[in-house]
Amino acid sequence: MTAPVHGGTNALTRRRRRGRAVRLVVITIFAVIALVPIGVVVINSVLPPGALVSGGITLAHGFTLANYRYVLDQTTALLYFRNSMIVAVSTAALTIVIGAPAGYALARGRGRDLSTYSLSLFLYQALPTVVFVIPLFLLFVPLHLDNTLQGLVIVYTAGSLPFGIWMLRSAFEAIPFVLEESARIDGCTLIGGFRRIVLANSAPGLLSVGMFSFLLAWNDYLVADIMERTNSIYTLPIGLETFFQEYSTNWGAVMALAVFMLVPPVLLFMVASRYFRIGGIGGSVVG
Amino acid sequence: MTETITEAVTGSAPVPVQPQFVRRRPRRSNSDAIQLRVLATPSIVILCLIGVYPIIYAVYQSLRSGTLISSGSFVGLANYKYVLTNSTFWSSARFTLIFTLAAVVGSYLVGLALALTFQAGFPGARIIKPLLLLPWVVPVVVSMTSWGWLIGTGQGLADEFTHALGLGDVGFLATPTNAVISVSVVKIWESFPFMLLVLGAAMETIDPTLYEAARVDGAGWWASTRHITLPLLRNVSFMTWILMAIFSVNDFPTVWLLTGGGPVGATQSLVVYAYELVFQEFHTGQGIAIAIFATLIAGGMAIGLFRFLNPGSTRTSRRVAR
Repeated sequence: MTAPVHGGTNALTRRRRRGRAVRLVVITIFAVIALVPIGVVVINSVLPPGALVSGGITLAHGFTLANYRYVLDQTTALLYFRNSMIVAVSTAALTIVIGAPAGYALARGRGRDLSTYSLSLFLYQALPTVVFVIPLFLLFVPLHLDNTLQGLVIVYTAGSLPFGIWMLRSAFEAIPFVLEESARIDGCTLIGGFRRIVLANSAPGLLSVGMFSFLLAWNDYLVADIMERTNSIYTLPIGLETFFQEYSTNWGAVMALAVFMLVPPVLLFMVASRYFRIGGIGGSVVG
Repeated sequence: MTETITEAVTGSAPVPVQPQFVRRRPRRSNSDAIQLRVLATPSIVILCLIGVYPIIYAVYQSLRSGTLISSGSFVGLANYKYVLTNSTFWSSARFTLIFTLAAVVGSYLVGLALALTFQAGFPGARIIKPLLLLPWVVPVVVSMTSWGWLIGTGQGLADEFTHALGLGDVGFLATPTNAVISVSVVKIWESFPFMLLVLGAAMETIDPTLYEAARVDGAGWWASTRHITLPLLRNVSFMTWILMAIFSVNDFPTVWLLTGGGPVGATQSLVVYAYELVFQEFHTGQGIAIAIFATLIAGGMAIGLFRFLNPGSTRTSRRVAR
């Protein structure tokens, strides 16, 4: 705050300062309420088994890692975590490898066929997963891809490609075409220009597409629910369901596993909001 | 330096990419055009296999009386007719409409209010904003597990709260009306960060000199919001409504994990109904017919949005927040 020069500005500054304080208080209250559903997962996970967050008496129990120990020692949680990680990382890698050339084609190419392709991608993105997943299941059974991690990776890659290609296209469009043009004059091929100039300058775009597809695969419930049928293939969302029992759900264990599931996306997001500006349509499909 | 690149990447560039610069027509030789199409081929193959084939198969199955294991016989449009004359379909359609409207209107209003507050500025905004985006980032399975415990078990924090207020057992998910309201509120909770993110990014692209000029003319906060911010957000707002409507019509896990469509089908959305018909009642054809209705709704909105974002169909310039 700069020092006011005369009375009028002084009053204005005071009013402005009060406005800022009011906004801070209102938003803080809103944030606290909005974060309750996430906060209780974390807090419940470190309470002694049997105890859950409740008005006031929570802290009396003290904190413990008993739920985590139980989940790690007595259940196959690590296997679920490993499966989810394999599927999500492979999806991210495949989406970039397949999506980047397609994004380049849409960024630099012209013609009716390419613009139709672009519209189809947009449309594809909007269709409900339910409509795909039933025929895919029937297709995957004879191919022995149902109930495999590979099958999941294929479905998730197809799911994240349309938006990934769109994101990559706009990333590539931001790189001046003159750079490739002059490289071509110096004897570089089209593919060479794509690799050495466009890809080499698109690290943030490639990373954000990787992140988006990682999250899509990590967070999915429906495809996993239909494709996975044995414990050894379960990813975290389906693994979590096995923790729910008809009569006595061990909520502490549920919450501890939920924390395992929550940490990678939140970490990724924190890194992202530190290094990237997530916004525009770019942020729209995260989660 | 990286700032400008990422801004362009994430679609929130304050200055739109100069069209004549990027879209300069390459001196095209035939071999370039072919090479570019070859580059797109792997993605086309996988999308045909995982996208187009299932849709064709789905339409085919919707004309038959099959189940998951037998392909049944050709029944023409009987499944569609059955679905359209079935009261459960219409109650699902009604819930889907309520759920979608609540999600769009609710999350937009909350997101807009928050974005305007962040625009006005206050100490600590940089720390609080990422925290407010968490409901969108946290996996839906995790957040629905938590909400299920909070409002669905009868002994969660929300129930304790209503007891403390002397309201007794509210039963947030127990009666049809309560369940519809609760599911809608949860959906708004899940969706407002998206609105905050997109509207906030769009507000940052508004030319600050507009506000300065307005201030010189004596406009207060409300006047500049009404006459500068809101009109300039019209296009991006429209885009977020359509996207949110599409997300909501297609949303399976929120409803399924929270209520399973109950009580007595009160929160059964079209996609949940389709899922139940196929995987629990084994009426594949009818289930797919319903999924196709949902597809038509979402697809129609998507085409509308595409036209809006790409006026003149082959041009690709962005009109967001302009």
